[in-house]
Amino acid sequence: MFITYDCLVSYHEAEEIMVIQKVGAVLDRIGLESVRSSPLSVFFILFSAVVIFFASQFPSGDGVGPSFFPIAVSLGIIFFAGIDVLTGSETELEISEFDFRPAAVVTAFLVGYVLLMPLLGFLVSTMLFMPVVLYYSDIRSKLLVAALSIGFPVALFYIFGRIFLVRLPEGVIPVSRLLPQLPLVVTF
Amino acid sequence: MVVEYISQALVNLADPFVLLLMVGGIFLGILMGSIPGMTATMTIAVLLSFTFTMEPSQGMILLLGIYGGAVYAGSIPAILIRTPGTPSAAATIFDGHPLSQKGEAGRAIRVSTIASFVGGIISVLALMFFSPVIADAALRFRSPEFFALAFFGLTIIASVSGDSLTKGMVSGLLGMLVATVGIDPVTGFHRFTFDLPELLTGVEFIAVMIGLFGIAEGLRKYSQGINSGNDRVDQEITGVFPSLSDLRSIAPVSVGSGVLGSFIGAIPGAGGDIAAFITYNEATRWLKDTVPSFGEGNIRGVAAAESGNNASTGGALIPTLTLGIPGDSVSAILIGALLVHDVNPGPGLYQEEPVLLYTIFVGFLLIYVFILIFGMLGANYWARLINIPKSHIWPVILVLCVIGAIALRGNVFDAWIMLGAGVLGYVMRLRGYPLAPMVLGLILAPIAEENLRRSLVLSGGSPTIFLTSPIALVIILLGLGAIALPAVRSIRANA
Repeated sequence: MFITYDCLVSYHEAEEIMVIQKVGAVLDRIGLESVRSSPLSVFFILFSAVVIFFASQFPSGDGVGPSFFPIAVSLGIIFFAGIDVLTGSETELEISEFDFRPAAVVTAFLVGYVLLMPLLGFLVSTMLFMPVVLYYSDIRSKLLVAALSIGFPVALFYIFGRIFLVRLPEGVIPVSRLLPQLPLVVTF
Repeated sequence: MVVEYISQALVNLADPFVLLLMVGGIFLGILMGSIPGMTATMTIAVLLSFTFTMEPSQGMILLLGIYGGAVYAGSIPAILIRTPGTPSAAATIFDGHPLSQKGEAGRAIRVSTIASFVGGIISVLALMFFSPVIADAALRFRSPEFFALAFFGLTIIASVSGDSLTKGMVSGLLGMLVATVGIDPVTGFHRFTFDLPELLTGVEFIAVMIGLFGIAEGLRKYSQGINSGNDRVDQEITGVFPSLSDLRSIAPVSVGSGVLGSFIGAIPGAGGDIAAFITYNEATRWLKDTVPSFGEGNIRGVAAAESGNNASTGGALIPTLTLGIPGDSVSAILIGALLVHDVNPGPGLYQEEPVLLYTIFVGFLLIYVFILIFGMLGANYWARLINIPKSHIWPVILVLCVIGAIALRGNVFDAWIMLGAGVLGYVMRLRGYPLAPMVLGLILAPIAEENLRRSLVLSGGSPTIFLTSPIALVIILLGLGAIALPAVRSIRANA
C-alpha cells in the first residue's frame, strides 16, 4: 500500500477543510451576529492586537521592560471586549432618536476650523467658524450671528491673550495685533 | 500649625482677585449646571486652560467654585423641567418635580439650596479632618501599595460606572493604553511616538478630557437635534428663605445625607450621581411614615438627594489630595490642573504645600457659603437660565474646546488629539461605553505602571511582593471583589 502524491495533497486539503470547518463551527457558536452587533468591541480587540504586535518589538529591559505594561493592558482589553462580543451585550443606545449626519457635519466644521487655525490665526478662523456653526444651529437672526461671531472671539482674545497671557495662534498675517491694547494695565 | 495654615489661607483668600475668581466660578457653575447637558466636568475641562497662568491656589478656587455651583444648580432644571442639569441631580427629580407640579417649585429650590449648603459644608469639614490622617498613613505606602491603589481605583470605577462592567473595564484600559504613549519613564524608550516630537511627553490628557466631555457631548447634542428639548420655564419663584417648619423637617436628613454622601464621594469612581441615589434611597428606608410619601413631592427627598450630591464634592477630594487617586471625573481634571503647576497630589502634598491645601479647604467652605447666599437671592433668575437656547451655547462651547486644547501648550497638535478623543467618545457613548473610567485610566496608568515596575525591581522580579505587603494584598483583593461581585450578580440574574 502506498500513498500517491495526489492522495497526500488531498489528505492535506481535507485536513485544511476540517480546520476551516472547525473555525466555522466556533464562529457559528459565537454567532457572526454577535460580531456584527458589537462592531466597536471587535474594533478594540483588533486595535489591541496591533498594539501588542508593535509593543512586542520594544527592547526588553531588566525584568519588566517597556513592553510589559502596554501588552498586559491590551490583553485586558481583548479579554473584556471579547466577553462583550461573546455575550453580544453591546447595545446601541437611543439609536432611533439619533441622526448621525449633524454630528458628522459639526465634526467636519471643527476639522476645518483646526486646519485654518495655524494659517489664519485664532481671531480670524474663529470669526469664520462661528457664523457657520451658528447658522447650522438654526440661528437666523443676522444681528445675533454677527454679534456672537465678532464679539466672542474678540472677548476671548482679550481674556486669554491679554489678561491670562495664554499664547494663541496668530496666523501667517497677525491680524490680531491690529486690535487696540487694553486701556488698563492688568497685573496680579 | 493648623491655625497658622488656616490664617495664611485666609490671607490668600482675602485677595480681591481670588474672591472675584471664586464668585465668577460659582456664577459660571450655576449657569452651566442650570442648562441640561452642560456638566460640571465639561465646564471645568473646557475652562482649565484659563488657570495656567494663575497661582495654583487661584486656579483651584476658580475650578472648585464651578464644581460646587454646577452640582448645586443641577437641581434647578431637575425640579422645574424634570431634566437634571448635571448627572448628579438625577435623584432630585423624584420629589423635586412633583413639588414643581404642585406649584411649589420655589419651596423645592429653597430646600435644595439649604441641603446643598449643609451637604457641601459637612463634606469639606470631613475633607479637612480626615485627609491629613489618611495622608499620614499613606506616607508609609511604598510601590506595592501604590500599585494596589491604582489597580483598586480602576476596578471600582469600572464596576460602578455605567451598566456594563466589561465596557467599563475596556474604557478604563483604553485610557491606560493611551497613557503609555511617550518616553518610558524607566528605560527612556520611545513608545508609540511615531517620531512625532509632540508625543514624546505623552498624549496631553487634558486635551483628551476636553474631547471626551466637551466635543463628544456636543456631537451627541447635535445628533439629537440642537434645539430639541428646549423646555421653557415661566413659573415665578418668590420668597427667599424656607419656612421654619421646612427647615426643621429637612435638618436631620440633610445632615445624615451629608455624612453618607461625603463617604461615598470619597470612594474612587463614585461621584455625585451615585452618592445622591444612595442617600435618597437611604432616606426612603429610614423615614417611612412621611406625608406626602417619597416620590410625591416630599421636601425631605429633595434634601436627601441634594445634600448627598453636594457632599460628594468634598468627599471626592479626599482620595484625590491624599493619594493622588481621583474620586470622580471632576477631581481627575483637578489633578491635571495641579500637575500643570508641578504640584503632585499625594501623601507628600501635606508636607510640601500645606498652605495650598488649607487655602483649598477654607476656600471650598467659603464657596458653599456664597452658594447659599446666591441660591437664596437669585433662585428666580437661575430658573430663567434654563430658557437660554442650546443653539446659542454649543457653538461657544465648541470654540472653547478647541482653544482650551491649543492653549495647553500653544500647539495645534493638541486640538487634533482633542477632536480625535471627542469623536471616539461620541462613538463609545453611542455603544454604551461609559467615559469616566477612561479618564481615570489615563490618570492611574502612570501610577500603576511605575509602581508595578518599581515593586518588581525591589522583589527581583517576583510578584509575591504584592502578597507579602498586607495593605497591598487587602487593596488588591478589594479590587478583585469589585469586579467579581457584579459579575457574580449578573450570572445569578441570568440563571
